[in-house]
Amino acid sequence: MQIAPPTRAMKRRIRRNKLKTFFSKPQNVILLLLGIVLTITTIAPIVAITQDTFAIHAGTIDENLTQRNPEKYPSYYPKGSNKGYSFANYIDLFTSRLAKKNLWRPLGNTLLLSTISCVVSILFGGFFAFLVTRTNLKFRKYLSSIFIFPYIMPQWTLAVVWKNLFYSNAVTHSADGLLASVFKITMPAWWCQGLFPSAMVLGLHYAPFAYILIGGIFRNMDANLEEAATILDTPRWKTMFRITLPMIKPAILSTVLLVFGSAMGSYPVPHYLNFETLSTKYISMNDKYSGEASILAIIMMVFGVAILLANQLTLKSRKSYTTVTGKSGQISRFNLGNAGKYVIGAIFIVITFFTSIYPIISFAFETFLPNPGDYSFLYTGNIANLTTKWWITAENVTENGMYGQFGMLYNKTIWHAYGGTMLVSVACALTAGTIGTLIGYAVSKNRRSKWANYVNNIAFLPYLMPSIAVGVAFFILFSNKYVNLFNTYWLLIIVGTVKYIPFASRASLNSMLQLSGEIEEAAIIQDIPWFKRMFRIIVPIQKSSIISGYMLPFMTCLRELSLFMLLCTQGYILSTTLDYFDEMGLYAFSSGINLILVITILVFNTVVNKLTGASLDEGIGG
Amino acid sequence: MKKVLALVLALIMVLSVVACGSQSTETKPAETKTETKPAETKTETKTETKTEEKKDEPKADAAPLSLVQQVIKEAQGLTLEELAKKAIEESNGATFYGVGNSSRGKSALPKFIEYLQSLDANYTLNFEWQQPKNNKIFDQLTADSLKEKGTFAVTLIQDGNQIESKMVRTGILDTFVPLDWAKANGIAPEDWKGYLPLQTLNKVFEYNCTGEKTFTNCWDFVAEGEHGLFMDIDSEIVGKNFLYMLTADKYAGYLKDAFDKLDPAKQAALQPVIDELQEDAADLGLGENGAYGLAWIKLWVESYAAVEDDGPICNTLVQNSATDQFGLLVYSKLRSVEESDSVSKNNIKVAAYQDGYNGIGGYGYCHYMFVPDNSPLPWTACAFIAYITCTVDGFSAWGKDMGGYSSNPEVAKGTEEKYQHSKGGMNAAGEVEFECKNDRGYDWWVNNGQLVIEDPEYCANVAFTVGSWIEMLTKYKVK
Repeated sequence: MQIAPPTRAMKRRIRRNKLKTFFSKPQNVILLLLGIVLTITTIAPIVAITQDTFAIHAGTIDENLTQRNPEKYPSYYPKGSNKGYSFANYIDLFTSRLAKKNLWRPLGNTLLLSTISCVVSILFGGFFAFLVTRTNLKFRKYLSSIFIFPYIMPQWTLAVVWKNLFYSNAVTHSADGLLASVFKITMPAWWCQGLFPSAMVLGLHYAPFAYILIGGIFRNMDANLEEAATILDTPRWKTMFRITLPMIKPAILSTVLLVFGSAMGSYPVPHYLNFETLSTKYISMNDKYSGEASILAIIMMVFGVAILLANQLTLKSRKSYTTVTGKSGQISRFNLGNAGKYVIGAIFIVITFFTSIYPIISFAFETFLPNPGDYSFLYTGNIANLTTKWWITAENVTENGMYGQFGMLYNKTIWHAYGGTMLVSVACALTAGTIGTLIGYAVSKNRRSKWANYVNNIAFLPYLMPSIAVGVAFFILFSNKYVNLFNTYWLLIIVGTVKYIPFASRASLNSMLQLSGEIEEAAIIQDIPWFKRMFRIIVPIQKSSIISGYMLPFMTCLRELSLFMLLCTQGYILSTTLDYFDEMGLYAFSSGINLILVITILVFNTVVNKLTGASLDEGIGG
Repeated sequence: MKKVLALVLALIMVLSVVACGSQSTETKPAETKTETKPAETKTETKTETKTEEKKDEPKADAAPLSLVQQVIKEAQGLTLEELAKKAIEESNGATFYGVGNSSRGKSALPKFIEYLQSLDANYTLNFEWQQPKNNKIFDQLTADSLKEKGTFAVTLIQDGNQIESKMVRTGILDTFVPLDWAKANGIAPEDWKGYLPLQTLNKVFEYNCTGEKTFTNCWDFVAEGEHGLFMDIDSEIVGKNFLYMLTADKYAGYLKDAFDKLDPAKQAALQPVIDELQEDAADLGLGENGAYGLAWIKLWVESYAAVEDDGPICNTLVQNSATDQFGLLVYSKLRSVEESDSVSKNNIKVAAYQDGYNGIGGYGYCHYMFVPDNSPLPWTACAFIAYITCTVDGFSAWGKDMGGYSSNPEVAKGTEEKYQHSKGGMNAAGEVEFECKNDRGYDWWVNNGQLVIEDPEYCANVAFTVGSWIEMLTKYKVK
């Protein structure tokens, strides 16, 4: 029997039914909508900044070159427009006498800084993870919780602590830091400024990433493989390089993925420690070389994309290590010896004291010094060399050496900024957390779909783009004739949301993938609506990861500077206010704000941890 | 994934090209000047901002005045009180947005509102004052200028070079010269050439005097082994303008004179650098002493230790441990130093105040007042500018501290009478307690202290000649 070919009406009906079936699945609707929205929010700023690299800016090098030498630098002005375009910025940046100074050296420095930061964070965080999870180290619980403090604090605070500790008149031509003034020890220049301190500070800041990611694998790793190697008399180094390292390779790659992009876009650390990178160069070139500065931002973005591609490639080759199931209950702990477990524990207590506790004590102490960096009290013991003025001055601010500022308890600028920070952080956490969770859910449901894969990647891309470049791109996008969002909370919330969705989407996706489809299917059979399924089944089961997906954007947003510094003025949010006071040399205020931030984060983390059982450790990197 | 990314990248490029070609055609006449050469543009802009000149010599192709320019033209003929009445009419109950490089606009606005309320008790005005960092003020004003009606009513802005090339030549900002201010300076508003300065700030050479070292000549600051503390020229652009100005005939002449007063040994050490730069000076079209300017710039850029802000420089220099250190910093920073066992203002000496000192004592730059060409409240902006430039109370937000000098001679005099900065370092008994805090005033600094004063036009003209030459120098790094 021959089947009659479908008529046009039938085809239409089939198409309609297919569409109906497609849209009847909430995950498809989520993916379609978020795919479109995220494509726009990710691509539009890139387009805006790309356009800026071709634009001719008044009073900058591109205008000068196109006017002075129109043959070498031809320009194009669309009819009736005052805005011209040319390749002058590209030609000049890549070929002028300043190319080495403006491009190649900062680029080289940036790559070095990012690479060394990765190495430091992986070695320090990875080794610590090994000690905590695979040995009988003492004080594990204390060390584990204190180790993540540097990540909680704004990254440049460690840089400021570094300066306060190691600078000296003899080497850096500044006032003596603590080490020089109290112990008369002067550190060499390479230790005080440049690549080494910048990489160390960033490495220490991001070491918690490595600790949590690598620690997660160590914790679940099947020790049978290593034991088999030991039985076969395999040398220890061979076991390490052929078994242990390949097992933790995915975590190392994830750490590289997260740290490289973040370090590349860091502005404050290299700025404070006098190291020239693409980020610092972007800021310094912005007056005369605006278009060329935008090219630097594009270059940073290209590296972000390249890292994502590299990660995709390594993901494919990771198949050969799927023997690691993570299901074994056998975790053997190396014995550090009776003395060793205490000695090594004590060493880490000292190290983490300087990376986690000392900065907080130092911030608190700074707020009682009569002048910024004036440590008279320490070597005279004279209580008159301490003051509470930075906290409680409420009048005569021009006469009390207050630089025109009210004490912190009465300082409206600081508390207004605190309110702004809370607003932005809560809004970003709610929107990024919700969108990220939905993406995780939808992608896990359609895990073989190319579109789902695309949405997952486009949502992750902004995280890999350096913060400063993302900030620049959004500033350019929203500074036009129709929309001018500079210095509005709207802009900060939009940018923060786009940048922090990956935190939530990764945490959510990884946990949703563990969730069997049967659970939801049972509810579908009973015709339970999607909202009810989500709130009664999915969310309660994955509560911990989902809350982490909200907490991470919140905490990161609280102390974010590089992303927001070009989008609002100081006094709008705490991080820009902190940076302002730091640059002005009013360390009492910046230290006080740091304390406020750290306390806020710790209180929130503790409250959420007590209420829900979720903590920061569980969320990083999913 | 690779395909998707390739597609995305291709899309970016296509969209960029499309975006490049689809720019709005709604442009203001004043903005269509970017195709002209700088010299020509300058002439045109001057014609535009000097409204009275236009009236006297009408040109067939002269651009019509914008609404704000018309207001300014009228406002320049009114006294402060008349302007205040116009402001009350215009902005009662409104919100006034200002943007500036100085945070003190925020302190000045409540006083301005009080003044308007003294004329009309029912008057109210909300206000917001923004102080962008990292040179963003220019981007912010440029972005705001694209709107028909802008956000910002007024701006207080520094860096004459960028103001000239990015703000004035492009028609984004307009100059308003208050009648009372012009009278105090003995001219008519329309005769004033240039922008309206609110005040001049000075950055001066100061050195720590806890050791034996003294600095008696400005060339001592660039001698071998010296590393002055200075805000990096890429962080604070007015520092670059200072260096540009050293190549101007007047200041290059100051440097030559100071060089001539050095002892022969020091001259011999410096002479090769000056000789080497004669050719560059000629190439850059500088005057006969241009090489002295270039030599000082080269030695300074290659030796100064960069610091993020003047605050930390001051905090460093006043410490006992900063023996023999020196810096070039905002003079007024001394106002907030508190005495302690290891910190004292008496650890500081202002180089130019010392007997026998020769050469430049520092540099001065202005805070200028402008009305954006799309200001939503132009009358109120003009009244605010008149209030802070023509009254001691209005200027007090800045005038209460040393090191900031009003451009209005009457206000400057009134400020000195009220705050007595020239005796700022005296104690109640009239004895000198902190010599460095006795501010000798603007006239002294310009005439005796050889303060290098920023000239926006000169800076804009050499930004891509001398400026590019400076960028080729290698900055100092601690070793």
